[in-house]
Amino acid sequence: MSGDAIRLEGIRYQYAGSRSWALDGVDLVVRSGEIVGLVGPNDAGKSTVCLVAAALAPAVAGGRLEGLAWLVDGPTSELPAHEAARRCGVLFQNPLAQLSGTSATVWEEVAFGPRNVGLDRGLIAERVERCLELLRIGHLAPRDPGRLSGGQAQLVAMASVLALEPRALVLDEPTSQLDPEGTRLVGEAIRRVAGETGSGVLIVEHKTALLASIADRVAVLAEGRTVLTGSTLEVLADGSLPELGVDPPAAVRIGRTIGAAGLPPGLADRAMAAITAASA
Amino acid sequence: MLAIVISIAVVAGIGRSIRPYLLASVPLVASILLVNTFFFPGGTDVLVRLGPIAATGAGLTAGLQGTLRVVAFALSVAVFSLTTPTDDLLVDLEKRGLGRRAVFVIGTAIQTVPRMLERAAEIVESQRARGLDTEGSWLRRIRGVVPLAGPMVLGALGDIEERTLALEARAFSASGRRTIIRELPDNVVQRVARWVLGLGSIALVVAAATGLVSLP
Amino acid sequence: MIAAPITVEAVSFAYPDGTHALDRVDLAIEPGQRIAIVGQNGSGKSTLVRQLNGLLRPSTGRVLIGGEDIVARHVAQLARTVGLAFQNPDRQIFAGRVRGEVSFGPRNLGQRGMELERAVEGALVATGLEMDGDTNPYDLGYSRRKLLALASILAMGTPIVVLDEPTTGQDARGLERIRRIVADLSADGRTVIAVSHDMRFVAEAFERVVGMRDGRIVLDGTPADVFSENEWPTLASTFLEPPLPARIGARLGLGPTATDEALLAALSASD
Repeated sequence: MSGDAIRLEGIRYQYAGSRSWALDGVDLVVRSGEIVGLVGPNDAGKSTVCLVAAALAPAVAGGRLEGLAWLVDGPTSELPAHEAARRCGVLFQNPLAQLSGTSATVWEEVAFGPRNVGLDRGLIAERVERCLELLRIGHLAPRDPGRLSGGQAQLVAMASVLALEPRALVLDEPTSQLDPEGTRLVGEAIRRVAGETGSGVLIVEHKTALLASIADRVAVLAEGRTVLTGSTLEVLADGSLPELGVDPPAAVRIGRTIGAAGLPPGLADRAMAAITAASA
Repeated sequence: MLAIVISIAVVAGIGRSIRPYLLASVPLVASILLVNTFFFPGGTDVLVRLGPIAATGAGLTAGLQGTLRVVAFALSVAVFSLTTPTDDLLVDLEKRGLGRRAVFVIGTAIQTVPRMLERAAEIVESQRARGLDTEGSWLRRIRGVVPLAGPMVLGALGDIEERTLALEARAFSASGRRTIIRELPDNVVQRVARWVLGLGSIALVVAAATGLVSLP
Repeated sequence: MIAAPITVEAVSFAYPDGTHALDRVDLAIEPGQRIAIVGQNGSGKSTLVRQLNGLLRPSTGRVLIGGEDIVARHVAQLARTVGLAFQNPDRQIFAGRVRGEVSFGPRNLGQRGMELERAVEGALVATGLEMDGDTNPYDLGYSRRKLLALASILAMGTPIVVLDEPTTGQDARGLERIRRIVADLSADGRTVIAVSHDMRFVAEAFERVVGMRDGRIVLDGTPADVFSENEWPTLASTFLEPPLPARIGARLGLGPTATDEALLAALSASD
């Protein structure tokens, strides 16, 4: 158990007022320093997994939870939301909806969390500087958080979540509203965070190519159940992905097409080599 | 009193900004003047007679006094809000014990306005692109209320959910006092002024109530 | 159904706050063409498509549809000709039921009775929502709400359809559906214009790609042309990457191969 940032065992979850189980058998582990990707079709329950993993459900979202949910130091049952926030940072799809709306500058926005828990000013300043540096957004410190591009806003949201020094991070489609440049920035930032802080990261994404470049392991969720888990390479190359409703990365897809085309071996090999080189 | 307020405004450099407030108070001023001038009870020094009603000198004086008081009061509120940055005000209130939730509600309400306006503009765009007529007869435009207000309200409600989660995810509901990181500039002069004004006002009220001083 | 040609003539546009978004853009779109507009956020692509249905008017220059300057026509009138599906579905959804939402557009255009029902039904089937006619839109997930927003434009039956980032947030099934919708619209003779970040979607579903940067068009051609090696420096300047098949084809010296199909064909031919 120690060394696990997030652990979900036999999780079943039902939203308040709903009669069906949004999650019906989820098993997932994210170790410290590890990046685990979560993929699946859009009604599979991926966002629900995020809420449960971050201890926001049922604490804030209501509903009923069965099974074991473990977050950094202990189980999530009875864990008040502000305590959970210090163990696990959460990022959602929409960058602007995550701003506190009360900060005049990015610096203040990043200080929002540490202020809430009453840390002393010197420590707050230290943490804010460190988080801005980690995400390479020091130059954004004096800017108005409401006037940033999508990618920048996501990085600010990430910094403000990291300021509480959580050992776990849950990211729910953080790049879906971003353009390719924004996606690249956020992907790099995630890799750096996991590497330098040793936090365990759970990231939900449709962009399987992004996961191929940053995730250590991947889990597939379908109809509220984890149906496939393993190393990134294993899972993303698995033949059952398309019928589970997941698009494999372009390299895998093209490799499969070429493999099935019956080209002469020499040509096929060169093609495969080109695929690997081009997608690096 | 009015002279004092206006001179403060000029000194603070907001002379021009208070003009809209002055203009806004014109209808109220006019009505106070008229009502008092013509309908002041007990006035006997008639200036002008218009049929059954008469303008009295006493009424006019009372009217003027009334309007000056009203305008001075309204302007002082305006001067306060124009010279006190909301952020600083909120920081000060929080320092003196106002809870984080109240501060958040006020702070957010203000910052939310521009976002709401942007969102409203986007909604209007989407619905116009679906043929909603925003340029035709007013009857037509009334039909647009639900398609325009609907997404606004639904969006705001959905926002609340996301916002709540995002806030909780940053320990908003932790107990205890929040750390104040903003320094509010303060100095001896300001502190002395606050004491003098505060005590002075109390003294004035007491003096007036006990008849020592008669206020205009 | 025959769509009319669109001509954007030397259009420049600046927002009230002074931001210059379009800089003397010239663009001619043939009837029934499938054209994708790509570029970074801030390149002017969203501003450009909003010139086509009157939501924004040129600061200088003109926009012609069917040879006629559209400046005199109201947005509500232009909605008969140009349907624009926005990126964020939650900025338009107001009805309590899917069917009500989808019928809003066609109703505004004066459709009633059987005609209206057919339009709504057709749009629901195309977007896979035919079983959800009575569902509350907010009980659908985000990506199905996006399909709902698309359905509400399809139901209007406009000869020109503009899609603003149709693929963001979509899963594999949603993407497939959108590809099919684009193909069907085109088969029907309608002009389809899409603003998109998704280079694979662009390369596979469209016959013409226009790349923008700083309010200007910097690339214009078929996907094969635009993603071929000699255009890569220009692409890089717009912070875009060519889709993987093009990069593979370049490594193997195969000429322009913007899609899986093209790559496979080139490989087989090179044998």
